Amino acid sequence: MPTFNLTVNGARKTVNVAADTPLLYVLRNNLELSGVRLGCGASQCGACSVLADGKEIRSCVTPVSRVGDKKIHTLEGLPGLWAAKKGLTGEKAASTLHPVQQAWIETQVPQCGYCQSGMMITAVDLLSRVPDPTVAQITDAYTGGPSPHLCRCGTYTAIIDAVQVAAKAMKA
Amino acid sequence: MINEPTLTRRSFVKIGGGLVVTLAALPDAFTPNGADADAAVLDATRLNSWLEIKADGRVIARTGRAEMGVGMAAYFRQTVAEELNLRPESIDLVMGDTDRTPDGGWSASFLEGAANLRKVSAYTYQALLGLAATRIGVPQTALSVVNGVVSADTPSGRKSISYAELLKGQQFELTIPVAGGLAAMNDKGTGINNIMGVTVTGNPPMKSVSKYTVVGTSFASPSVEEKVTGKTQWAGDMRLPGMLHARMVRPATLGSTLLKVGALDKAKFPTAEVVTKGNLVAVVSPDEWEAMSASRAVAASTTWSEWAGLPGHSNLGEVMKANRVQGGKRGDQAKTADALKNAAKVVSATYEQPYVKHAPIGPYISVADVKADGTTTVWTHTAQSQGMRAHLAHMLGSTTDKVTVRWLEGAGQYGRTSMGGDGAEADAVVLSQLLGKPVRVQWTLQEDLAWSTASSAWISDLKAGLDAHGKLTALESDFIMAPGIDYRMVGAMLAGLPDVPAPAVGGGPAQFGFGAVTQPYVIPNEFHQGAGARVELMKPPSGVGLRGNIMRTPGQRQHVCALESILNEAAVAAGADPAQFRIDHTTDQRLIDIIRKTVAEAGWAPRPSPNPAARRTGDAPVKGRGFAAMYRFGAYWAGAAEVEVVPSTGAVRVTKFTIGVDPGKVINPRHLKSNCEGGVVMGMGEVLMEQLTFDQGKVTSIDWTKYRIPTMKDLPEIKVVTISRDDVGFGGVGEAANSLPQPAILAAVFDATGVQPRRTPLTPDYVKSLLLKA
Ligand code: FES
Ligand code: FES
Repeated sequence: MPTFNLTVNGARKTVNVAADTPLLYVLRNNLELSGVRLGCGASQCGACSVLADGKEIRSCVTPVSRVGDKKIHTLEGLPGLWAAKKGLTGEKAASTLHPVQQAWIETQVPQCGYCQSGMMITAVDLLSRVPDPTVAQITDAYTGGPSPHLCRCGTYTAIIDAVQVAAKAMKA
Repeated sequence: MINEPTLTRRSFVKIGGGLVVTLAALPDAFTPNGADADAAVLDATRLNSWLEIKADGRVIARTGRAEMGVGMAAYFRQTVAEELNLRPESIDLVMGDTDRTPDGGWSASFLEGAANLRKVSAYTYQALLGLAATRIGVPQTALSVVNGVVSADTPSGRKSISYAELLKGQQFELTIPVAGGLAAMNDKGTGINNIMGVTVTGNPPMKSVSKYTVVGTSFASPSVEEKVTGKTQWAGDMRLPGMLHARMVRPATLGSTLLKVGALDKAKFPTAEVVTKGNLVAVVSPDEWEAMSASRAVAASTTWSEWAGLPGHSNLGEVMKANRVQGGKRGDQAKTADALKNAAKVVSATYEQPYVKHAPIGPYISVADVKADGTTTVWTHTAQSQGMRAHLAHMLGSTTDKVTVRWLEGAGQYGRTSMGGDGAEADAVVLSQLLGKPVRVQWTLQEDLAWSTASSAWISDLKAGLDAHGKLTALESDFIMAPGIDYRMVGAMLAGLPDVPAPAVGGGPAQFGFGAVTQPYVIPNEFHQGAGARVELMKPPSGVGLRGNIMRTPGQRQHVCALESILNEAAVAAGADPAQFRIDHTTDQRLIDIIRKTVAEAGWAPRPSPNPAARRTGDAPVKGRGFAAMYRFGAYWAGAAEVEVVPSTGAVRVTKFTIGVDPGKVINPRHLKSNCEGGVVMGMGEVLMEQLTFDQGKVTSIDWTKYRIPTMKDLPEIKVVTISRDDVGFGGVGEAANSLPQPAILAAVFDATGVQPRRTPLTPDYVKSLLLKA
């Protein structure tokens, strides 16, 4: 089996897996990052989204061999991403969630919560490009891309609210 | 049945009101309660099976029900906290594990589910008060309790003691009166007994709703933070040493049987293995991706028998009518027929809906570990752990005590596992037993959309009679539904192992009880009948076929669509505003109040339908609005839809939906709001886009481009209106919101265009064709 060196949530990782293995299974099974969720497995729902150099990708259809030296962040890595951006260290870094996660808690977005890892990844990507998105821009972020992000529990209203709460917090 | 808490044989403190508490010195003074909890945990008559008060003041509460995404994890904590005068944050909840919870039951109902823990908490509270009164030396009435600390003014000053201190060094025993039992297959193997589990009986004094301080607040469930930070262990995350990953190779059609298993290329897939039992075929591997790749390769060369027993989706209503099997009847047929004959106006219509899917975002997943001695443990996201255990024990020819079902979080699946059965559990158990290793079975989305159960198609013929003043004199309905509740397990059927039998054909509303057609209106003459359809959807050679099941607001969702729609048409015939038309036909003040408040908040100006500006041609969008109301499980609902229709394309867009609910006491305002918003989105999906399509053998809507559900682009402005009442108890609110969009939106499209759609989904092509025909 070929060897791949990945940078995931700020740490270097080495895995031996078949080259066509989708990143999803590498993250979940080899690196035990269960924040990444399997939905459709076909780039149709967004449940499996992770960040590659800050941009959302669908890990269910991204072969590990195509990741290269892109920095991958999963739900578990969002606090670290924020800490790095804000220069937080030690205790402070360890106890601070990403403002997007904080907003998701404050707004109580999840119902079953299954889709929400991917939803938060999209929010982080969007807010890094558009710090103060309009509702139309938020809707575009969740419905453009390879497919719309799907939530069967219908949390879309709460997601829009939470993105706006996060935007405010990130500017503060 | 025991109706009162009973005396135990050990020393006890008599507290009054028939309550008895046993206090015995414990060797380990650090755990005042819970030292023998493991032994007690399955005995529902023992307090420790439900509640433990720990030395640090934390409380463990246990329920056999599980979180299904509507907020149960919060409501249960709130309810226990309320009765015990504790903070909900101090409660740790154990849900759904058959070896760690006492009661079982399904997870769709807060009303019944929380009733158990509520009563247990109330019994416990009385016992604690009794102990505290003795300890402090004052009468019980002199005590006050705040956040688990009991206080009283005594001649020697104010004294306080916490629950934990009160119980320190003691074993706290309380016998809980219960009825019912845990789910198990009946002796004949024809059905599962006790599907609703154990019920706590008696009437302990409970806090009056007007004194609530925790129920009624937007308490944030700790499970939300766990999900947001990635700490939740989902069913799909379960890993065991030596575990194999499996992918199923399903038959070519829902009815096919296996002819020949495809070959596995060992050079390409060295650690994969094909496993077969009857028509159950799987590929397993220690590596998930290898299991997936190898299963695809094996599937490509596996051959199956032909089967073409399905009627296809396009003409299902007519097929069901042609195969009608009489079910129950309610009301006076002759009098209603008479009233219709003598009516000034009669409105007749037929409404119908195709099969729709629960369609969770995560497909079925289960891990099973069957040991050589038959001891079986299954990890699952079912909503019916005890029922699931009963299914699996029966399938294994074993007994429930040999099977443990552990519940973990899963994607919201809206009722399809409420009875146990449907899911990946049987696949995993069969494979684990054959291989002697733990096996994780992950269904794919395609498999889930094709092989899981669906909400059955229905068709209803309705007639409403009006007098000369536009008042309803008669209402008649004849409702036919394809077989509705099929709890059988695909894995058992394909492997040729025993399970519950296929559901009987027939029944219609009888399947759900006639409560499903009870609307809170006063109509002098009513006659309703329900029927099944002898459609051979589910008796193919494989045993599987197209299987129906309950889905969010089962039975009533369908009836509300039909009955509220005919009411809307009757309002049109009467030239009446549809909201006022309901008010004019009810004496139920709660219904009137919620209708009034909802239309006021919606900015609804009274007028009859259609909109004077209604149009059925042109490229410019035309506006319409529609109304619906309902009663379910102690809650009153109203919904007002606003839509825009583009006549030339047939595109329907819901721009705003105002949903009103009076559930009695609101338990958690924020969760209620999100349940309402989510329900509106789900109901809107049903009316605008959702349809399970199938040909003569197989389901064809097998991915998200073919089975469409709403996205953020489809989202209307949703306004939630509530009335909370302290004096009428709790109503059920977790599910019903998805029932209102369908009739309200159907009426709104009529309002906009003057053409009444009576079938869903309202795809642009369908709406366009209706407008052209009109
Ligand atoms: S699981 Fe990757 S997009 Fe659905
Ligand atoms: S919260 Fe349940 S699928 Fe989105």
